[in-house]
Amino acid sequence: MIHRLCNAQDIADNSWNVFTVNNSVDVMVGFRNGKLFAFDNSCPHKGAPLSKGEFNGDRIVCHRHFYEFNIFSGKLENMPSWKKEDTWVEQNPAWRSSGDLKLYHAFIKEGSIYVEIP
Amino acid sequence: MTDADYAKTSKPHPNIVAIEVLKKNGVNVEKLKELITKGVGAEFTTYYYYTILRMHCTGLEGEGIKEIVEDARIEDRNHFEAMTPRLYELGGALPRDIRKFADQAGCPDAFLPDNWEDINSILKVLLEAEQCAIRSWGEVCDMTAGKDPRTYDIAQRIMQEEVEHEAWFIELLSKRPSGHFRRKFAGQSPHTGSQGGLIHL
Ligand code: FES
Ligand SMILES: [Fe+2]
Ligand SMILES: [Fe+2]
Repeated sequence: MIHRLCNAQDIADNSWNVFTVNNSVDVMVGFRNGKLFAFDNSCPHKGAPLSKGEFNGDRIVCHRHFYEFNIFSGKLENMPSWKKEDTWVEQNPAWRSSGDLKLYHAFIKEGSIYVEIP
Repeated sequence: MTDADYAKTSKPHPNIVAIEVLKKNGVNVEKLKELITKGVGAEFTTYYYYTILRMHCTGLEGEGIKEIVEDARIEDRNHFEAMTPRLYELGGALPRDIRKFADQAGCPDAFLPDNWEDINSILKVLLEAEQCAIRSWGEVCDMTAGKDPRTYDIAQRIMQEEVEHEAWFIELLSKRPSGHFRRKFAGQSPHTGSQGGLIHL
């Protein structure tokens, strides 16, 4: 199903907004250097809202454990907990494991942003 | 069989008004149950790991922080106790297998650091664990504020104690005053309640 979310100019470049579609799917939609992106707001690792994260290049950094996902490919590209740091001992693989972002197809038509939720 | 299915009854009740009203208020109940299951998982595993950390608060310096670690340890167990009944009210369940329960926990394992004889290394692990707890209960508060007063009430009580725990460990690491003074008894949980004073008993 295709849903209209807002006017394209309602979201500034390099920012985002979260829309709840069908009272159940939270979609994080925004622009990164002029390019539109849309994905499920739930972090594939442990479900934190990605909208609380920040950009690092073309990645969104989750605020909970700082996993970094590419916002266009959805791929998990960096996982700080993988590294053995000063005091934080490496976590077990089952806890660390994470899927990739759930991307949604979004597009602009006649000045409005639409998203397709399968 | 999904994780919660093992706990299902043979005659599910068709009409639970306390859940219906949440949905009408726009709460994503499935998502909420997921966050709570992960949140109580983190409390339970943290309680376990804090036991090990507390045992390793040794020597003169260790003795100085032992009691405060004990407060944080017992209070995390109290957080598990305070929120778990709410998970069941919402129609959720703890994972059947404790291994799965630990792997799905919303915060990392607070393992004993290799250089634990340096007391600061233990404090850093404690601090990071508290900070993760603040983030995750904050998410539950955000999801329920103005929509699900019962879950919100429990989550905000837990949050109050997590914020205190963070402040204590920051004080010990950096000297920044936290306003801390000793609890009346170990693991008192002034906000969520402790043994004999659980908020729902
Ligand atoms: S929940 Fe997002 S990195 Fe762990
Ligand atoms: Fe806790
Ligand atoms: Fe805590």
